[in-house]
Amino acid sequence: MVQIFHPGADTVARVVLASLGAAPVLAVGLAYAVWRSPYATAQDVTREQPVPFSHEHHVGGLGLDCRYCHTSVEKAAFAGIPPTETCMSCHSQEWTNAPMLAPVRQSLAEGRPLRWNRVHNLPAYVYFNHSVHVAKGVGCSTCHGEVQTMKLMRQTVPLTMGWCLDCHRDPAPHLRPHEAVFDMTWKPPADQAAIGARFVQERHIKSPERLSECSICHR
Amino acid sequence: MPPLIPPSRREALRLLGAGITLAAGGCSKPVEEIVPYVRAPEQLLPGVPVRYATTLSLSGFARGVQAIAVDGRPIKIEGNPLHPASLGATDVFAEAAILDLYDPDRSRTVTERVNGIASWDMFERALSAPLASVRGAGGRGLHLVTGRVTSPTLARQIDALLRALPEAVWHVHEPIDEGNAARGAELAFGRPLRALPRLDRAETILCVGADPLGPGPDQIRLARAFSERRGDPARFGRLYVAEAALTLTGIKADARRALHPFDQPTLLAAIANALGPGLSAPELPEEARRFARAAADDLKAHEGRALVLAGPALSPEAHALAHWINARLRAPVDYIAPPDRIEGRTPASLADLAGALDRGSVTCLAILGSDPVASAPADLDLARRIERARFSVHAGLHGDETAGATHWHLPLTHELESWSDLRATDGTASVVQPLLRPLYDGRSLHEILPLFAGRTTTAGHALVRETWKDRGGGDFEGWWRRSLHDGVIEGSAAPFVDPGEPRLPVLPEIRRQEGLTVELRPDPCLWDGRFANNAWLQECPKPISKQVWGNALALSRKEAGRRGIEAGDVVRASVGGRAVEVPVVIESGIAEGVGLLTLGYGRQRAGAIGNGIGADAYGLSTQGSPFLLTGVELGRTGKTETILRTQNDVEIEGETEKLFRQIDLAALARAEPRGIGDDQPTLLSPWKGDADGHAWAMVIDTHACIGCNACVLSCQSENNVPVVGPEEIARGRMMHWLRVDLYDAGGSEAPRAGFQPVPCMHCEHAPCEPVCPVAASVHDGEGLNLQVYNRCVGTRFCEANCPYKVRRFNFFGYADGQSYANLGAESVRAQRNPNVTVRARGVMEKCTYCIQRIAGEREAAERDGREMGAVVTACQSACPTQAIRFGDLAKPGNAVAELRKDPRHYALLEELNTRPRTTYLANLRDPHPDLKEDHA
Repeated sequence: MVQIFHPGADTVARVVLASLGAAPVLAVGLAYAVWRSPYATAQDVTREQPVPFSHEHHVGGLGLDCRYCHTSVEKAAFAGIPPTETCMSCHSQEWTNAPMLAPVRQSLAEGRPLRWNRVHNLPAYVYFNHSVHVAKGVGCSTCHGEVQTMKLMRQTVPLTMGWCLDCHRDPAPHLRPHEAVFDMTWKPPADQAAIGARFVQERHIKSPERLSECSICHR
Repeated sequence: MPPLIPPSRREALRLLGAGITLAAGGCSKPVEEIVPYVRAPEQLLPGVPVRYATTLSLSGFARGVQAIAVDGRPIKIEGNPLHPASLGATDVFAEAAILDLYDPDRSRTVTERVNGIASWDMFERALSAPLASVRGAGGRGLHLVTGRVTSPTLARQIDALLRALPEAVWHVHEPIDEGNAARGAELAFGRPLRALPRLDRAETILCVGADPLGPGPDQIRLARAFSERRGDPARFGRLYVAEAALTLTGIKADARRALHPFDQPTLLAAIANALGPGLSAPELPEEARRFARAAADDLKAHEGRALVLAGPALSPEAHALAHWINARLRAPVDYIAPPDRIEGRTPASLADLAGALDRGSVTCLAILGSDPVASAPADLDLARRIERARFSVHAGLHGDETAGATHWHLPLTHELESWSDLRATDGTASVVQPLLRPLYDGRSLHEILPLFAGRTTTAGHALVRETWKDRGGGDFEGWWRRSLHDGVIEGSAAPFVDPGEPRLPVLPEIRRQEGLTVELRPDPCLWDGRFANNAWLQECPKPISKQVWGNALALSRKEAGRRGIEAGDVVRASVGGRAVEVPVVIESGIAEGVGLLTLGYGRQRAGAIGNGIGADAYGLSTQGSPFLLTGVELGRTGKTETILRTQNDVEIEGETEKLFRQIDLAALARAEPRGIGDDQPTLLSPWKGDADGHAWAMVIDTHACIGCNACVLSCQSENNVPVVGPEEIARGRMMHWLRVDLYDAGGSEAPRAGFQPVPCMHCEHAPCEPVCPVAASVHDGEGLNLQVYNRCVGTRFCEANCPYKVRRFNFFGYADGQSYANLGAESVRAQRNPNVTVRARGVMEKCTYCIQRIAGEREAAERDGREMGAVVTACQSACPTQAIRFGDLAKPGNAVAELRKDPRHYALLEELNTRPRTTYLANLRDPHPDLKEDHA
């Protein structure tokens, strides 16, 4: 009678059984890796824009303050995207015929808004408030990175809930003096631990338990 | 077209490949856009709600409101504290106006009956021929139909038009017109007057068929005055109500008698006779006689603080008699000249129009902002008669029944899109200020009316300013800005007039007719039918029957039993050769031989929401007696219909008292507050908040609650609560975060009822939390019980374990992708509150104590480095009687903590040891000792 199973069959069966067991674990691991990867978080993805606006030139080069354009960052949840008028307040004098700026001039002439592509995109169920973070001393570069070096805007942090909670659970290392909030080159001093702890006290920043409750960011 | 043949193998594979490629390509995340302004409006902060004072109308009368807009998009209506008809509160109609603005069924362009879509230019050209002919005849043949006109600008325009064309006729049609009250005042005082009863000063009140706390343009003012006075036990007084069927006022009554409408004038005569004149009146039934004696004694004993009110279905003579009684009692009533009159002009009625149409003398008929074909008494048969007008045009928000009968239809702008002005019931004027440009190609009445004077249209803004140009004492601009900002024009209330001595009327003899008498009332949700296409109002439970998506003929248990009719049977109600098929419901507190039906349903051209819902009660009414039908025959049809209700009648023997605490005024001194059960033992650790945190809590005064549903709609508007539609309601599903329960401790014929609004209790030991397998139901440091939508997997264990049944499950994507009818339209989505998550299919949701408002105030306080101020929830802001109080228990000396020590305090189901944060104050009543058995 002919053998049905050849000598290697046992090995094959063991490998198949083992991989059946490992597959769900690997699948979860893969899903988790994809979930946290820049593919899903859009971290470090540079977006095309209708006008190639350079933060490197305007912030790094010219030294414009963030609030010149993002006017409501200290007053409202949204930092605000400047209206075409703000662009034209300078560009009616400077680079008046640059082809790069044609969409801006056209927008003002026709009364049609520019349509920018969103770079930092939080899900609709997250209610982030810029003004509170600024008031408590979280600087722009903490979340937006070194904007003054970016030719086109990109997102430098993952913006996952875990990333938010890292800070909400331990805000002290990220708190700055009020005057340094808009300083794009700020680096924590050597005694940041002590200073940060003092800021937490002075600015009535709530306990990590409270700051990591669902209702702080979700409604 | 090529013949349909199955694809070849190659082609099938090619299509399959293309499909896979497309599907894979579609996996990438869509890029979201940011669209900033070109020129930003000054001082606008993106995403921050801004309030504008404006005015909304109900039956032509003004209610001042503050409309809340986010990024220029109105999303919510709240009351205007400075306006006398709002006092900071709203009613269901004001709350729902925001959905009307975004109604996808609103008419968008000028239309002509035969050729369809047209334009304003085409209409003006078509109008020129008939207009030339009527102008040649001094206006003869021009007939103008409007609703009630209180707008000084519109009145000025109509007056100017009639001056230019003296032969033109102006008709007014207001379905709920208070006509008998107006004629009664004329009978009594010899001139038109409007009575403003002062419920804050009247202590003993007798309502005969009247419903001052019920829906209407004056509901908020009257309810506030009533509840404020009743909040003071020393001025509690007694409320006597004799009515054919239960009303909101009847539920608040201390002594109530179900009384046939035929007996109601007799009751008034009996009261009058107790004051002297010796009117001849037929005998009253025994119980009614005792009721009359008790009421008369009480009224006489409180002279100067006693008041009698007659209902809209009563004859003008009965109203005049009530005026006479009030004069004898020196009742607190103020009289003013009616705010809806144009000096020196008496508008004609619809009957006059019908006559003119029959004579063929109508050359040009303009029906502006009114829908008489749907809402006029059926015996006028306007739909057929309008055909006889040589040229007819209708202007309205919708292409409604009247639009279907006229040659032309013009789209009107909504009040939130147009400039106008309106007067409230007390004559106070306020400006209607637009919050956004017209969404469609509509114009306001002010802009349309000049077309009939042969002039080109002027912007409404200029027309309204023209009316008031003499104000401000030289500084018109400053005055105008102040009036817009405050939402009320200072010093514009009508002056009180001395009415003089009222004449004693002669009551007409009542011919008692066999058969059923049916009282027709405005619907508490749809009013006169103008709100029929508003899905929030269609799904708003009627305060007493809790019916939604339809109306029904209400009969008493005895009456139905006598006729062998059961609840849900569809009957054919016929009178005078007209008939309507309507299902029957059984209600308590209805007099024998009486049925109750509400107006406004059975619309044919309301829109996708309102078409064909319910039975058209106008189909039975007559010009002579629009609100009372006598000799109605009920015939069987053999059909049955499920009555859609959100609260079912359940007999809970002896438990009503426990669930809904009611105290007699006499026992108030001995009453003790009941706690939330935190003295009971528990295995759970006690709730601990943050050391520097807040502890939010709500106390609802069931005694102040009149069951008007304003809170329910306010919550719906604020929290993006979706509509589920009649099919889902029939499956027992609904989404309201706040419901108003009705408890009745009396028998079926003698209600002793009250309202209990039930939002989430935010229990400190919440039964919903430990049963959630994914921790989607959690507590926060401020004591809020939260639902984390993204964690929720839809097991519904929490709903099953919630003893208060306040959790709501999205069986479908009611708000998101599977909306009822046309509610998924783009325009409806513009109403959504951007600060509240729109819930998806398969998640649980419930009241959050308006966490977005708490968070908004917290963020503002954190930003500005100050203490948190007061937070007002949506339901609280809407309440006309301030029955809902919300506050922070952790704040020393706060009102809510004080109310928790009130002797009337109780918690719902306290024995379950859930330690609710939402608690109640008991209902109070002062029953008459001699009439006690009426309530047994």
